[in-house]
Amino acid sequence: MFAGPARPVALVLAAAALAACATACATVRPSEREVLSRPEMNPQTEVMEAQFQSHFESAREGGFGGNGAAGGGCGCG
Amino acid sequence: MRLRLARLSALVLLLASRDLAAEDRVTVRGNYYREASTRVLAPVVYVEKDLPDERFTIGAEYLLDAVTSASIGAGAAAVTGGDFLFTEFRHEGTLRASGRLRNWSFSGFFRYSTESDWISRSFGATVARDVFGRAGTVSLTYSANLDSVLQIYGGRAIPWTGGQMSIGDTPGQPEPNGTNLLQLHYLALGYTHALTRRLLGGVGVESIFARGPQDNPYRKVRDGLDESHPRERNRISASGFLRWAVPRTPLALESRYRFYADDWDIIAHNPEVRMYARVLKRLIIRLRYRFYHQTGAYFWRADGNYSSDSVYRTADPKMTRFLSHMPGAELTLELDGLAKHRGLHWLRGAWIQATYNHLFQTNRFGNARLGSLAFSIPF
Repeated sequence: MFAGPARPVALVLAAAALAACATACATVRPSEREVLSRPEMNPQTEVMEAQFQSHFESAREGGFGGNGAAGGGCGCG
Repeated sequence: MRLRLARLSALVLLLASRDLAAEDRVTVRGNYYREASTRVLAPVVYVEKDLPDERFTIGAEYLLDAVTSASIGAGAAAVTGGDFLFTEFRHEGTLRASGRLRNWSFSGFFRYSTESDWISRSFGATVARDVFGRAGTVSLTYSANLDSVLQIYGGRAIPWTGGQMSIGDTPGQPEPNGTNLLQLHYLALGYTHALTRRLLGGVGVESIFARGPQDNPYRKVRDGLDESHPRERNRISASGFLRWAVPRTPLALESRYRFYADDWDIIAHNPEVRMYARVLKRLIIRLRYRFYHQTGAYFWRADGNYSSDSVYRTADPKMTRFLSHMPGAELTLELDGLAKHRGLHWLRGAWIQATYNHLFQTNRFGNARLGSLAFSIPF
């Protein structure tokens, strides 16, 4: 069904869907997110560095993305 | 001039990830990039303020890009008359606004960037919704760039419509049906989820649809022919990450992977691992290792030889097959401890951060050093 360059994309999406299905029902309650709320566990603390990283990558590499641009939040609020 | 086809994604990153519960804050950051023939100094200041509270936040950013090159680009000696230091400045201003309504959040931005041979206007919006009791967030982002590409020729900035397809065309003259407008449309879908009490994961798919001149006006291939790239490019990347807080230790580990493909036949793989360690109460160390590999574009030729009737030609190192390794370290010191002292209470919530990454790569750009120093303080 998937061939060539689309195959890794499909695998990543399939793995993500599987992980989501396996864990989505076991919702982590807000009271259980103490560890996840630490700065070192919060991807948002790296946003400005990632911005520079994306800038450098776009000027020096053929690829792009993957620096968290598509992430809507940390899920630990 | 630097092609910044994915610059857009960096802005969207800041837009989409803005912490809606953040306090009023100002952050100053100095970025540094150095390779054999290019040095970049990029100071940036960012201010955000809640109006009147975290349900609505506005932000403004100013960035100065000072790029010093041994020459403008490959083959630029023919234009500049020789190899000498050339510095250009880019000014960039961005306005942002974000808001939250129950489980929904919204944000938008407008940015204007100008330099001697490139003017860029971009705008975008993100909508996100918390799901599963706020254990997860799904987001959708759209943004666009409308860039005017220019070429400094004979002391004047003239529109650049793309490399000449034929050696018989007159240099500096636009094609009859050409335009110097480069349009970038960016679309991203992402999902982040607290998988367990100690495990955070996320996936995303991003795409860019580019239309317009995407070659460098100054870069020449062998025999002095213009670089000539296709005017259309469709790009997609899929990525995922897992970040795990190791029990009974001050450590957090993260693994990332990104796959990238486009219709210029560039395929890239980009795994990365990171380790975060809170070694002292207020000191966090981050170590990282990033690997990158890409194939060459279908019109790239390793020997650099193109005939005068070649439709597409490139001398761009980004279009070649190469790989890179990048180890790096970062120190973040939270200044809350100092805030306990008399007269220093204003440091509560402030931090300083130093970052260094060393890039080893096999393309013509050569190895590079990346560093930054940042200070952030709430007000």
